[in-house]
Amino acid sequence: MLELDLRSRLPIYEQLVEKIKTLIMEDVLKADEQLPSVRTLAQELTINPNTIQKAYKALEREGYIYTVKGKGNFVQKIEKGDQREKLMLLKTELKKILSEAIYLGMGKDEILKVIEEVENNVGRDQND
Amino acid sequence: MISVRNLTKKYEGFEAIDSVDLSVKKGSIYGLLGSNGAGKTTLLKTLVGLYKPNTGEVLIDEQPVFENIALKERVIFISDRLYFFSSYTIEDMAKFYKSIYPKWNEQRYRNLKQVFKIDFNRKINRLSKGMMRQVAIWLALSAMPEVLILDEPLDGLDSVMRQKVKNLLFQDVAERSLTIIISSHNLRELEDLCDHVGILHQGKMIVEKDMDDLKKDVHKVQVAFKEEVKPQALEELEVLHKETKGSIQVYIVRGEREGIMHHFSKLNPAVLDVLPLSLEEVFIYEMGDTGYEIDHIIFQ
Repeated sequence: MLELDLRSRLPIYEQLVEKIKTLIMEDVLKADEQLPSVRTLAQELTINPNTIQKAYKALEREGYIYTVKGKGNFVQKIEKGDQREKLMLLKTELKKILSEAIYLGMGKDEILKVIEEVENNVGRDQND
Repeated sequence: MISVRNLTKKYEGFEAIDSVDLSVKKGSIYGLLGSNGAGKTTLLKTLVGLYKPNTGEVLIDEQPVFENIALKERVIFISDRLYFFSSYTIEDMAKFYKSIYPKWNEQRYRNLKQVFKIDFNRKINRLSKGMMRQVAIWLALSAMPEVLILDEPLDGLDSVMRQKVKNLLFQDVAERSLTIIISSHNLRELEDLCDHVGILHQGKMIVEKDMDDLKKDVHKVQVAFKEEVKPQALEELEVLHKETKGSIQVYIVRGEREGIMHHFSKLNPAVLDVLPLSLEEVFIYEMGDTGYEIDHIIFQ
C-alpha cells in the first residue's frame, strides 16, 4: 500500500504523513477505516516503529486520523464545516505560492490551466 | 532508560572518553557515530558496565550499571570482537545463555532458526565471520533483553541478512519497547535504522539529534541574482554557510522551505532553487569546522 523512497532527501516520517494524507484525500482509505498498526507497518516496510508512531501523531494532530486507546488508529471523517480553519490556512499558503509563481513570470492563463488540471484529476478520483 | 552524565574514561592518562553526556529513551534506537578511535567501543563498554568510569556516572533504569548483576541480566552487549567458547555448538552456547539470562525464551530461539537457517549443531568457531555475527544476534534476541547494545553489528552481513536483522530489531522495538544503541563509523549504516543519533569525535560528543528534525529544518539555496544584493537583505535569515560557485551563490539556511523561498524571491533572482539537505550535508554544516574535518571519515 505504501511505497517509500529511502534515498530521498525528505525525512521518512514526512513521506509517510504525505502518503497517508493522499490516500485519505483520494478516498483509498475510507472514513473510520483502521490504519495498519505501528508493528505491522514497521515489519512490512522495515522502518523504525518510532518513525511510524511519530507520523501517526502528526496525522492525528492535523485531524486526518483519530486514535482509539487499545484499538489503533482510524481515518477521521472529513466534514466540510470542520475544515474551515484548515481551508483558511491552505488559502494563505496558496496565496504565497501564487505570488511567487506570478513573480517568477507565470501568467494568469497558465495558473488557471493548472487549476483546471487539478480539478479534473480530483473529479476523476471521486467518480471511481 | 539510559543516562550518561559527565563520563570520563582514561587509559593510563590518555582520555578515551572526555566528559560525555548521553541519554536514550526507552524504545528508542540510538545511533552512535564516530571515526576509528573516536571512543565508541570504550563508551559502549562503559555503558554496559565492563569498564569502570573514572568520573561521571552511567545509569540504566536509574541504577548504576557497574557490577550490578540484576541489571546486567536485562542488558546485552554484542562486541565488535565476538567471543564464543572453543568447540561450542550453537546449541551449547544457547544452554549457556539460558543459564545466565533468566528471561531466555526457548521458543523464540527455536523459531529464529527459520530466519538465520544455521544448524543448531554447527560449531560456532568454524562458521564464517558473517555467520558468527548472525549467531550472536540470534542468541541476543532469544535472551529477551530490555537494552541491546551493538558495536558495529552490521559489518560483514550481506544485504539480505542486514534487512532481516533490521526487521527483527524493529519488531522488538514495536512489540516490547526494546532500547537499542548501535555504533558505526558509517552514517549510511545508521541512516535508515535510528531515530536518534550522536557523533563522537576524539572522545567528545559533538552533536546529538533527532534524526527527522535533522533533515527537516535546513535547506540549501542555489540562487543567482540579476543585480547585486546587499548583505543586509539576508539579515533576517539564519545563514549557516555561504559559498559562491561562479555566478551561482549557495546558501545553507535554517528554516522552513516556504519562508526561505519567499524571502529570496523578493530579491529578484534570475535562478532560485531551494533543496532539503542530505544527511551528510546537515552534519557537516551543523558541526562547522569539525564537520569538514571528519567528513571524509564518516560519510564515505
